[in-house]
Amino acid sequence: MTLLQLSDVTGGYTRKPVIKGLNFSIGKGELVGLIGLNGAGKSTTIKHIIGTLLPQKGEIRLNGITLSEDIDQYRSSFSYIPETPVLYDELTLKEHLELTAMAYGIDESTLKLRSEELLKEFRMEKRLNWFPSHFSKGMRQKVMIMCAFLVNPKLYIIDEPFVGLDPLGIQSLLDQMDEKKKAGASILMSTHILSTAEKHCDRIILLHEGRVRAQGTMDDLRRSFNMPTATLDDLYIAMTKEQDHE
Amino acid sequence: MNSLYEVWSTRFNHYINEVQKYMRYVFTGHLALVLVFIVGAVGYQYSEWLKVAPNTFPAEWIISLVVGVILAISRPVTLLREPDQVYLLPLESKMSLYFKKALNYTFWSQVGLAVVIYIVAIPLLKAVTELSTTEIWLGVLFIAILKYLNVQIEFNYRYGNRGENVIIDRITRALLSILTIQTALTINYTLAIIFVVLLIVYNTSLKKKVNKQPIPYEHFVKLEQNRMMAFYRFANYFTDVPHLKGSIKHRSWLNFVYNIVPFSKKSTQSYLVYRTFIRTDDHFYLWVRLTVISGVIAFIVNIPIVTWIVAGALAFATTLQLKYALLSSKDFRMDRLYPVKESQRKEAVQKVLRLFMVVQAIIVLFCSIGQPLFFVPAIIILLLNEITFRVSKDPSKHDYSY
Repeated sequence: MTLLQLSDVTGGYTRKPVIKGLNFSIGKGELVGLIGLNGAGKSTTIKHIIGTLLPQKGEIRLNGITLSEDIDQYRSSFSYIPETPVLYDELTLKEHLELTAMAYGIDESTLKLRSEELLKEFRMEKRLNWFPSHFSKGMRQKVMIMCAFLVNPKLYIIDEPFVGLDPLGIQSLLDQMDEKKKAGASILMSTHILSTAEKHCDRIILLHEGRVRAQGTMDDLRRSFNMPTATLDDLYIAMTKEQDHE
Repeated sequence: MNSLYEVWSTRFNHYINEVQKYMRYVFTGHLALVLVFIVGAVGYQYSEWLKVAPNTFPAEWIISLVVGVILAISRPVTLLREPDQVYLLPLESKMSLYFKKALNYTFWSQVGLAVVIYIVAIPLLKAVTELSTTEIWLGVLFIAILKYLNVQIEFNYRYGNRGENVIIDRITRALLSILTIQTALTINYTLAIIFVVLLIVYNTSLKKKVNKQPIPYEHFVKLEQNRMMAFYRFANYFTDVPHLKGSIKHRSWLNFVYNIVPFSKKSTQSYLVYRTFIRTDDHFYLWVRLTVISGVIAFIVNIPIVTWIVAGALAFATTLQLKYALLSSKDFRMDRLYPVKESQRKEAVQKVLRLFMVVQAIIVLFCSIGQPLFFVPAIIILLLNEITFRVSKDPSKHDYSY
């Protein structure tokens, strides 16, 4: 069953499109990796999915609806972890969690239950009343992650999640993603850490210069590049070289 | 080496352009009008008071105190930037040329304030002392000399001690400056010159320390950043300064206010806006400042129509500026993605402003008790808050990229 469907999506910040005719979908319970060089259009693609940019052409359906059909319903269906943490300097960690809970209509007892679990998992229990100015980059990232998982949505959109996290943090995040996947949630994750992507993603979408260059399971990709024993790193390099020759 | 002069002049031009860009808004803002009005009112009261000022009034001491303290605050304007500690490192020995320029500018940009205050006080000196015109103007000469020494010393002190305990240095210089002016104004020129010589000796001893030390870039860069931030914050009261991050304070004594926001999806933006307003220094102190001015005017000015106009103008300024500050933001915030109604933010801001303008009205009401129709300013404040909020344009309308 398809949860997210991009059909022929073209768009960007100005008239000149950054992403061109994107077609891909994410099924229920699937973890999909969005891979590409700097400037390939990963973040732009994500901005179109979360609705801060509108496609110039094509449409994006999340759980069957577009943003313009029902904005509240659309927004309730996903949570987003941006590449650089975006926190409110004036709110404590606890207040970030409370604010998120209110926005997504989570009641107080559920908030308490879920946030206790998350705080323990990410070892932030003692930081509840801290302001973000006292947090390291990794801790800021953890606040974003906890807020996203608190919502328990159908789709998680995670932009470059591992940068700045310590090894324990990365493991906790992967565990959380695994758990949510098992419970039926879908995840779209953009990353440069290819070994992790190869190990954890069900499917990979290779983005190059604003277009989908290849997509599928690792086996699909190996077949399409005709490299039967390749790792994702090999495929990635092959893709960029191929483009250079053209 | 000429290139260091060039570095200075490029930076200086850039700096002046930046300052001019924002000062334009400051001088055309509505707050500037109110300030002109206040200066006029205070000036009038001052000239009235001079007519009855007693001869025993300690004018020399008060003038020396005020001017002396202002002279002692001589923060050097170096225009140094963070990359300098890497890129200018090879030029360390030639940097004295750069600093000479910097301290020259520091002197000229700061001497004005002390002189203006002194000049404002001249009518007072004429009224309560027997100083001749020459003697009074000799005071200006002393102020110029003192400012020059203060600028040099504060720079050398900061250089030698990396800015540690600068307050002790400032107090020392403030005392010597106060004594110099006081003795000069009481025609004790020998003493005045002795105090000046003391300052020169102090400077020479600091200079010896400076010559042995590397440039404390970190301290000067930080000082410069703080200075620019202070300027941007100031400019931000009049116009929107991009990428300005206001400082945040917990102000936990106001935590009780948040209790009026219930835990529900409908109050998401209220939850956020109450905290943003109370904890962001820029927003909160803007309200405090305008409320205090409004209250003080209501308290000391006894002409009803004046207090009404001031209360109205300040209520208008408070509402307009806070509405703008809380509704417009070009940066991405997570609440842009929340599945709540777009109009929630505006409604939340209106609620917060209404609450704090009621508080402003109450404060002004208490300050104007005793005047005829003392309740009018409070009513004007409430009315202008509502009208301004409704009539002014919605700054959030242009920000969304979708």
